[in-house]
Amino acid sequence: MNRGDRQKKKLAVYTATGCRACEQGILDLNYEVNELGRFADPVFWPYVLGTPWEALPGDVDVALFAGAIRTAADREAALSLREKSQLLVAVGACAAFGGLPGLANLADSAAPAEAAPTMDAPDDGKPAVPALEPEAMCLSQVVPVDYFVPGCPPTQNLLWAAVLALVCRGESPSRLSYAAARLPEPIAEAIASGVLPPRGTIFAGEKAVCGSCSRVKEEKKFGTCKRPYEAYQETGRCLLEQGLVCQGVATQEGCGGLCTGVGVPCRGCFGKAPAIFDPGAKMVAAISSTFDSAKAEEIAGLVDGFVDLAGTLYRYSVPAQCSLLAAPAATPDQGCDRCRG
Amino acid sequence: MSRVTFDSLRWRDPPARATVTVDGGPPRVRLQMTTPREVAAMCVGRPVEELPRILSILSPAHHLCAAKALDRLFGIDPPPAAKNTREALRLALVFRHHLRKFHFLASSVESPFAEFWPEGARRGPHGLRPLLEDVMRHVSLAQEAAAILGGRADHPVTAVAGGVTRALKQEHHVRLAEIAVACRTFAERLGAYLRDRIFSLGEILGDVREIDAGPVSSLALAPDADSVVLRDGRGAEVERFASAALFDKVGLAQESWSHVPFAVLEAKGSQGQGAAPAEGLFFVGPLARLNGGEPLATPLAESERKRLVEALGPFPRFEVVAGYWALLIELLSAAEGLVALCEVEKLTGPALRTIPKAPGREGHAAIESPQGLIYQHFRADERGVVEEVRVLDTATANNALFGIVAQRAVETSLAREQGWDETKKRMELALLAY
Repeated sequence: MNRGDRQKKKLAVYTATGCRACEQGILDLNYEVNELGRFADPVFWPYVLGTPWEALPGDVDVALFAGAIRTAADREAALSLREKSQLLVAVGACAAFGGLPGLANLADSAAPAEAAPTMDAPDDGKPAVPALEPEAMCLSQVVPVDYFVPGCPPTQNLLWAAVLALVCRGESPSRLSYAAARLPEPIAEAIASGVLPPRGTIFAGEKAVCGSCSRVKEEKKFGTCKRPYEAYQETGRCLLEQGLVCQGVATQEGCGGLCTGVGVPCRGCFGKAPAIFDPGAKMVAAISSTFDSAKAEEIAGLVDGFVDLAGTLYRYSVPAQCSLLAAPAATPDQGCDRCRG
Repeated sequence: MSRVTFDSLRWRDPPARATVTVDGGPPRVRLQMTTPREVAAMCVGRPVEELPRILSILSPAHHLCAAKALDRLFGIDPPPAAKNTREALRLALVFRHHLRKFHFLASSVESPFAEFWPEGARRGPHGLRPLLEDVMRHVSLAQEAAAILGGRADHPVTAVAGGVTRALKQEHHVRLAEIAVACRTFAERLGAYLRDRIFSLGEILGDVREIDAGPVSSLALAPDADSVVLRDGRGAEVERFASAALFDKVGLAQESWSHVPFAVLEAKGSQGQGAAPAEGLFFVGPLARLNGGEPLATPLAESERKRLVEALGPFPRFEVVAGYWALLIELLSAAEGLVALCEVEKLTGPALRTIPKAPGREGHAAIESPQGLIYQHFRADERGVVEEVRVLDTATANNALFGIVAQRAVETSLAREQGWDETKKRMELALLAY
């Protein structure tokens, strides 16, 4: 088929509340991003193309959505993109699990709000500001999501492989083989055989970060609780075994142990590992089962050393994966006022 | 009364939109950041040593600023190799940020994803499309350097209290040196193109380059001390104060129509967000750093600075073309700095981290991020848990300036009877310079 005759897939990219790192991740794909226009038609990308909402077509093939849902405008954007897109992909920890903005859900609601707009009705020509939602949410709590590409930000290989896999499906064997080589086996097999992976698939590894972490694991004994500012071996031995709270054991792999490899503990930006119900509970179980003492007072001393467990164990996932706080996922019948109007 | 909203504006971080209201008289423009930045809500209650990772949501440079604030909180001094590593990361981030702006500038004439560009854009050694590809290649090189130094280019992780966690390997040193030289060579080549085609002939920018945001006061870090210099709109130094006093000098004014507050000089107070620069308005960024008119330490950047003075006149400058030229000067300066720093002996040492003995209670730091001066102040309890965080980020510091730039872009566009599409493009190109 002549390239000019081929119908290119329509691509939308949007960031709600968060930083721009995920969008930059797509832009920063070096040589590859120059290829994007050869097989995809970015029809909606406000950050790069300045596309207004009115120009969002009704038949987007793949929408990449980054950022958490924190304002009414974020919610409207999610609903609108869901309604008009065949595939909606949550890109990055904020869209997938709530991310760092979700930490605000742990804030003491009785504390005085930081400088906040008054949400006045527009007057004197002043525009209104998008109202805040009661809490930060992840994308799937507002609309059904087809796929997730986690990470803060997602690693470039994984992100580009996901884009190629979803946008080039059934069209370009060379691009699909590039993608398949970088994706976990079950996803790669589906892509290679010309079908989409099951809805809800997370484009990440199959095991926990510990499985790809290069650090040396010796004996799982938690004899002391260390904070990351204290002395520890930045290279070499498993950080958890040294007494640091490192969430590799409860976090889905796919990053290649990026943080632990450079000497800092994992904080779970890829979300919980498969078969784990609650990453915080998993971490508590993993640590407490290896306490190097049977004496109650020594264990109490160890426990006292932990600080801010909720903010640490759910650093990127308070809205979605903290079973005590998480709101349910959205159902397919939720619609969009903008589209209905 | 008629009202037009540009939603969203290209290249804004955080996302922004502009509303233009015309009611018989001159137009009134309001630029809104449309997403909240709930820094205190995210940080209070967290262990203080986690702030470098959390605050990187504002920009990668906030990671470095938070680590520096932790040094002060814990009362420790990082080893020289760690300081150099952090500075090299900062320079790599500056290079990437500024070069990405030139990518946006070059791609403003045509979608960067267009499969077929106009023939004129492709032709010749300096065709726009090859230039765009060259720019992206070097953005990715700077990104690779940042990832080596910071663990990740965005949301870096290696700067911690007392130093850095990552000891570089031999292959990292070799690669960093290669990247630094490639970046410097490319910055020189790009400089020649920008001078010949864009700054002088006005290609791409057109008459947008004459839009002038000034005169406005500016804030920048003093080069040789932990102090901040306030200059007035004529470039004269008004005050020099310790960075710890920044929030005594700078206040935050909240408007009902913006999620991001507006930074103002406390001494002058807030006069609201008008159509012209108010007395209390100031700005930060590459141009603010150069507006003191002082010579630069590196030769290529200093030569470029002199070329700017020769072409446009002495500092202070406030027009759009000076903003882009300042980006080029800093691009060169960052590349030269990287070449000087990326030597094995500067990035290695017997220790990369000074270990604190106990948590402190209060820390603060100011650094020059790619976008401009940023400041953080933490207060922690006796366990090292954050009780209070105050941050001046560049979105807040430049919020009022952006409004002025948007206002002037619309005024000049309407004076030339240009359509709304053209007006939006002018506004985006003008804002990109600051």
